[in-house]
Amino acid sequence: MRGPHARDQQMSRDQRATPRNSRSVSPGSASRLAQVHRDIALSSLRRMLSTPGSSLMTTFVIAVSLLLPALLFGLNSNLNAVLREFQDNARITLYLEEGVTNSRGLEVSESLLTGTDISTAVYISADQALSDFSAAVGLENLTQELTTNPLPAAIVLTPNNAAPAAVAALAERLQAIPEVSLIQVDSVWLQRLEAISSLIDVIGRALMAIVVLGLFFIVGNTIKLAIENRKDEIRVIKLVGGTDIFIARPFLYTGLYFGLAGGMLACLLQAIVLIAFNFSLRELIQLYESSFELRGFDIGNALLLILLGAAIGWTAALLASLRHIRAINP
Amino acid sequence: MIKFDSVSKRYLDRHEALSAISFEISKGEMAFISGHSGAGKSTLLKLILAIEKPSTGQLVVNGVNVGRISRRQIAAHRRQIGTVFQDHQLLYDRSVFDNVALPLEICGYHRQEAGRRVRAALDKVGLLSKERSYPEALSGGEQQRVGIARAVVNRPCIILADEPTGNLDPDLSAEVMRVFEQFKSVGVCLLVASHDASLIQRLNYRTLILHEGRLCEDRMPGTSR
Ligand SMILES: Nc1ncnc2c1ncn2[C@@H]1O[C@H](COP(=O)(O)OP(=O)(O)O)[C@@H](O)[C@H]1O
Ligand SMILES: [Mg+2]
Repeated sequence: MRGPHARDQQMSRDQRATPRNSRSVSPGSASRLAQVHRDIALSSLRRMLSTPGSSLMTTFVIAVSLLLPALLFGLNSNLNAVLREFQDNARITLYLEEGVTNSRGLEVSESLLTGTDISTAVYISADQALSDFSAAVGLENLTQELTTNPLPAAIVLTPNNAAPAAVAALAERLQAIPEVSLIQVDSVWLQRLEAISSLIDVIGRALMAIVVLGLFFIVGNTIKLAIENRKDEIRVIKLVGGTDIFIARPFLYTGLYFGLAGGMLACLLQAIVLIAFNFSLRELIQLYESSFELRGFDIGNALLLILLGAAIGWTAALLASLRHIRAINP
Repeated sequence: MIKFDSVSKRYLDRHEALSAISFEISKGEMAFISGHSGAGKSTLLKLILAIEKPSTGQLVVNGVNVGRISRRQIAAHRRQIGTVFQDHQLLYDRSVFDNVALPLEICGYHRQEAGRRVRAALDKVGLLSKERSYPEALSGGEQQRVGIARAVVNRPCIILADEPTGNLDPDLSAEVMRVFEQFKSVGVCLLVASHDASLIQRLNYRTLILHEGRLCEDRMPGTSR
């Protein structure tokens, strides 16, 4: 053992390196703090990997929880893509009253183009409608067999604004034209699709809220068990003056890792699901002559999912660790 | 530095472990607390560390009213105090080095950075060669000395020791007491609980004698029986 003199030398050398009052103040430069955190981060990771079975299980549960709302939102963005594609060819058909002459019909048709909300208007006379129809059904001589033409004349419009609400408003306005007897809007089913889409959106949000809550419990419980396992250690650290947040740091990393890993696994599972669906959907899509392809997996969404997982993991760990560490008294 | 003003401590079972204790210890003073087993020595140290709160009376340590201390202040309060615990309170999954480095780590030092101070502390208790060992591989006396190194490593202004020589042979006990005396000489306030009458007698410091929770004698140095 050293004598007091040796100790004093030691002390003064130390004092030069760190100020005397560094006892209670953290003597942290940024690089030192980074070094400290790197060490905590690594040891937390090592701890997680030392129990691969339960760590993997927790990660998997987090991933599946995140996957469900992610898939719903993915489905919805696909539905919206379908809507957009079909909206471009929304059509309104105006059936004219029986007594309206061809010249009056043309006049009405041309007058519609003076506004800004209609991009094309095509007048179809009753005769042309009948011949088109018979050509379409393959009964060329239908025109001769019928003594009177049962079909009305019509005007086919393409609206400039194809959004279902705008189309509906336009249709209502057109109803006021005296020559018009009936209006048919092709986009009624699009409106239904849009309603379904917003319903899915609401369900997705509600599910997300439930999942976030559930994840808080899952991660919180995992952290609680980890704290329980290190109770003696925590007690000792408290005895020598460690703050709750000092003790919590490794657990925050644990929560962050679980969130990150869960988010990444969720992305992977989502990609697998989408690829599998795209494969079986390709045939169906070809039937509809659509250029449509399932989307929902892009880098932005993947990053968002991982970020969400990480944020939930970290926050849940913070809440759980502070609560459970506080409960431990020496 | 430490001021007890008619402090009593009653545990939940209504047993009074300490009754109306009053004394004061100043900066650079060293004192023993002696008394039979169950006299209340450990309880007295626990009050100073804010592990327990006084039931009545006022206890001021280093300007802090410990009876009124808030949860948040406790950690900072304990960092001012180096404590040698009766049951060592070491971390068994960390090396001797890391155990001693813990108080510095809490203050924000990186372990490697703290190395010089940790080795100096281990050197003082004669355990420099064991820095890589784990506490389980050490004898009771060695573990106790690791605890002493940890208590002094951050140069606290108060050192509390609960039976620090309980597992040590007379030679090592004398060495440990010499380490404490070094700290006393640089102005640290020391309070050592011990029932080792011969050690106390040999060293001739102020001695507070507890009997069934009462302070029955406050013997100043230089006065002998
Ligand atoms: N946590 C506790 N709860 C209840 N009684 C306690 C507790 N700690 C100590 N005691 C009692 O207080 C008295 C003093 O104990 P202690 O301070 O440990 O004595 P010493 O350290 O002098 O041997 C003893 O009678 C003991 O049983
Ligand atoms: Mg005791």
